[in-house]
Parts: sequence; C-alpha cells; structure tokens
Amino acid sequence: MRARADLTGRLLRVLRQNLPRYVLGAVAVIAFIALWAFVSWYLQDTGSPKAIYVPSPARVADAFFGSFSLLPGLEEITMWDLISSSLGRVLLGYAIALVIGFPAGLLMGSYWSADALGRPILEMFRPIPPLAWVPVFVFVFGALWGPVGIVFLGAFFPILINVMFGVKSVDPSLVDAARTLGARRRDIFVKVTMPTTIPYLMTGLKVGIGIAWMCIVAAEAIGLRGGAGLGYYISLSSLQFGLWPQTYATMIVIGILSMVTTGLASLLEQRFYKWSGMK
Amino acid sequence: MVGDEVSISLRNLRKVFVDGQRQLVTLDDFNLDVLAGEIVCLLGPSGCGKTTVLRIISGLELATGGSVLVNGKQVTAAGPDRGLVFQEFALFPWRTVRKNIEFGLEVKGVLEDERHRISSKYIDLVGLTGFEDAHPRELSGGMKQRVGIARALANEPAVLLMDEPFGSLDAQTRNLMQKELLRIWAATRKTIVFVTHSVDEAVFLGDRVVVMTARPGKVREIIAVDLPRPRERTSQDFIRVRGKVLAELDEEFEKARARELSPE
Repeated sequence: MRARADLTGRLLRVLRQNLPRYVLGAVAVIAFIALWAFVSWYLQDTGSPKAIYVPSPARVADAFFGSFSLLPGLEEITMWDLISSSLGRVLLGYAIALVIGFPAGLLMGSYWSADALGRPILEMFRPIPPLAWVPVFVFVFGALWGPVGIVFLGAFFPILINVMFGVKSVDPSLVDAARTLGARRRDIFVKVTMPTTIPYLMTGLKVGIGIAWMCIVAAEAIGLRGGAGLGYYISLSSLQFGLWPQTYATMIVIGILSMVTTGLASLLEQRFYKWSGMK
Repeated sequence: MVGDEVSISLRNLRKVFVDGQRQLVTLDDFNLDVLAGEIVCLLGPSGCGKTTVLRIISGLELATGGSVLVNGKQVTAAGPDRGLVFQEFALFPWRTVRKNIEFGLEVKGVLEDERHRISSKYIDLVGLTGFEDAHPRELSGGMKQRVGIARALANEPAVLLMDEPFGSLDAQTRNLMQKELLRIWAATRKTIVFVTHSVDEAVFLGDRVVVMTARPGKVREIIAVDLPRPRERTSQDFIRVRGKVLAELDEEFEKARARELSPE
C-alpha cells in the first residue's frame, strides 16, 4: 500500500515538474495538425490537382481506425494482418542478425585473427546502404524472404560493431583481478568479457531495431510481388489505388511500431547499463 | 607471529619494459626475502617499480631476469595462492558483495553451499555483514576495499599483495582501514607485501619497511620497525622510526628529481 502511494506521489511530482515541457510539446503537435488541416483545406478550396496527396487529418484518422476492420483494395485482410506479417519479418531478420552478429562481434573483439579476417569484409559491405540490396534480395530470396534479408543486413552491422567495441572496453584491471583469483581464459571470457559486453549489445539492438523498420518498409514497398506487409500496402494504396488517406494511416502505424519497439529496446539497454554498473 | 621460514624470495630481479625503440629498466638487481606471516611495506619515489615488484610476485607480470619463489615454488603465472588487492578496488560492478567475494571459489569449482559458508566467514571477518547483497556502486571507498580484501582472502592465499590499497581513501578512512587490516592480519596470519606512498602508513603497518631507490628500482635500505602493536603515531619511538625512513626516502626523491631536471 505504502509503496503504491509512494509511486503515485512520485509520478505526480514528475508530471508536475515536467508540465511546462508537456504543454509546449502539446502546443507544437496541435499547431502541426492545424497547419496540416489548413494546407489540406487550402488545396481543396483552390481546386489544386495536388489536393488528393494531402488528405485532411480527419480523413486520415478515419482511414486509420477503419483499416483495422477493413483495408480498401485488399478485401480479405486488415491492418492487423499487415502488422503481423511485417513485424514477423522484422523480428526474424533481427533475430538472425543477433544470432550471427553477437558471436561474430565477440570473436572479432577477442582475437586479432578473427578481426583480420572479418574486418576487410566488414569495411567493404558496411558503407553499402542495406536498401541497395533490395532488388537483388527480392529476386533471389523472393518477396517473403528478401525483406527479411534486408532487415538482417540493416540490424547486423550495428550489433556486430557495438559488441566488438564492448569487448574492447573490458576493464584490464578486472581481467587482472580475475587472473589473480585463479580465472583461466574461459572463465575470464564468461565472467568478465561477456557481462561487460551485454550493455553494448543492447545499444546495438536499440540502433538495429530502428534501422530494421526503415529497411522493412522500403524492402516491402519495392518488392511488390505478393507477401503483404506494411511497406507493400503503402506502395499499393498510393501508387495503385490512389487511396492516400490509407497511405498516411499505414505510415502512422509504422511510426508507432518503430517507436514502441525502440522504446522497449532502450528500456532494456538502460536496465543493463545500470546492472553492469557502468552508468 | 612472524616465523623464520621464508615465504617470498626475490633474487636478482630485473624488469625491462620495451616501448618501441626505448628500453626502460624498471627494476635492476632487486633482492628481498619476506618471512611467513610478516608485513613488509615497499616505499619509494614514483616510478621506482614498487607496483612492478608486486605484479611480478602476483604473476601478472613476468620478470625479465632473476627468480621469484613463493613458498618454494617458482612463479610463472597468476594464481589463487597469491591474492592481490588493487588501489582502484577492481570489483566486478555487476556482482554483489557476496558474489564478488565468491568469484575465486566459483572459478575453482567450489559448490554453492560451501561457497556461501566461506564467503560468509570473510564477510564477517572484514565487517561487511548486512551488505552481502549490495553492489559496489552502493558502497563507500572503505567498504569497497573491504570487499577487495575479503575477495582476495576467500581463496585462502598464502600471501596477500596490496597495491596502495588505501591510496584513494580519505585520511580518516585510511587510518581506520589500517587498523582493520592489522586486525584481519592478526586473525589470518597472512604474509603481506604492502606497497604505499605514505611513510606514516608504512611505519604504522610494517614489520619492515623497504625503501627503494629511484629507477631502476633496487633495495636501498631495509628498516625494521621494532615497535609493539598497536602503534601510537604520536609516540617518540614512532616519530624516530618515521624520521629515519623519511631521511632515506628524501635522498631518493632528490635523486629522482635531479634526474628529471637534467637532460638525458
């Protein structure tokens, strides 16, 4: 009971302290929506041919809420289906990036030979934007697996590089301490290197999930054939059907998904930094 | 408490650090015997290689020449029979006090119940009861070093090597920790090699104080502190021994400074 009262009190205090921030933020959001409504109205009013590209906020809101029961143009499926197929691909590509990137980063951070082997390949492929691979991947792996591959590429590098950096940041005095306590190489790896690296892995995962969302949308949008997803519907609703309110509604869904997943990753990251005692 | 068997024997110790083209002779012909159960304090100007001596005994650093015997065995690598206590504590920040202390036991494969029993014993010995589940970041400097000492002792090493362990503590905590160390020493009878910058600390703790020369470090003078414990810092005898150590050290400081000022 007491703890709950404390928590409520703390929340209220935080709210009160940050009230000016929230007020200003709300003002900016409202101003933005008002500007949008005005531009939309002005274009309609003047009979501009561009008016269809800027539907009013109300129509986008309608499209947004409507899309969860019915998607115009795709009678069989709803926004939920688009979300689940895109989210599935993102998580799959992301998971593969984690499963390969984490050990690869540990190896490259720990052994000069692994670094010497991996580094040239890494530096060769890293500057190529993942999206440049979309045509190749979609043709080779198909509309379902191609986007997964693109997400993998996008998330892989931040994970790998952060883990490598984490291994390099191991405090040498902790290694000394472990050695004088009788630790062998394997013990040092498991009990010193790994715990130090985990927060860095979390940073890589946080950066990676944001990039993963950018990748999935573009990969799905370009790789049109089959394999419904959010990116696919953005491209379909606008270019094929001219249903611009649906396009914007889907964009908003992607924004929310990316924000929520990045927020979760960020929370995990903070937890682990605190756990490791480094922040 | 001090026996007459030699615990640590350092013979003709030499250490050269190579940095690109330059060779830095840190230790040269360093000889020292430490008796079992004795506290020996190493004192000397900065850069004289005090810490290097300690790291060589611990096995973290290998000597370029000479021999290091600990209880008759040649030192070739770091090992749990020689505990090291660090100036900056070097505690594992993600481990609780108890888990830090149990590190060496885990590595040795001691089972959980037994680990718990041993760590409890040392938590008790160093006065950390009630802080078992705290993390290092929640502890003061003095408390952190209690963990450092308990962690080294939990392996039941023959010798305890201490590298300016109280150097980053405030003066009051430092004095308290010196008394605590003597209490722990009386209870465990470890051989202790203690590196310090402080003449006062060396005379307060040591059975003998080794004054080292400026680089390359060797033994300049070994001063026996024949004062009964507990020692009184303000007593005539304490001040007399302190003065003797200080005089030796001052000459080395002067030499070190003169060399710094003159071009090589």
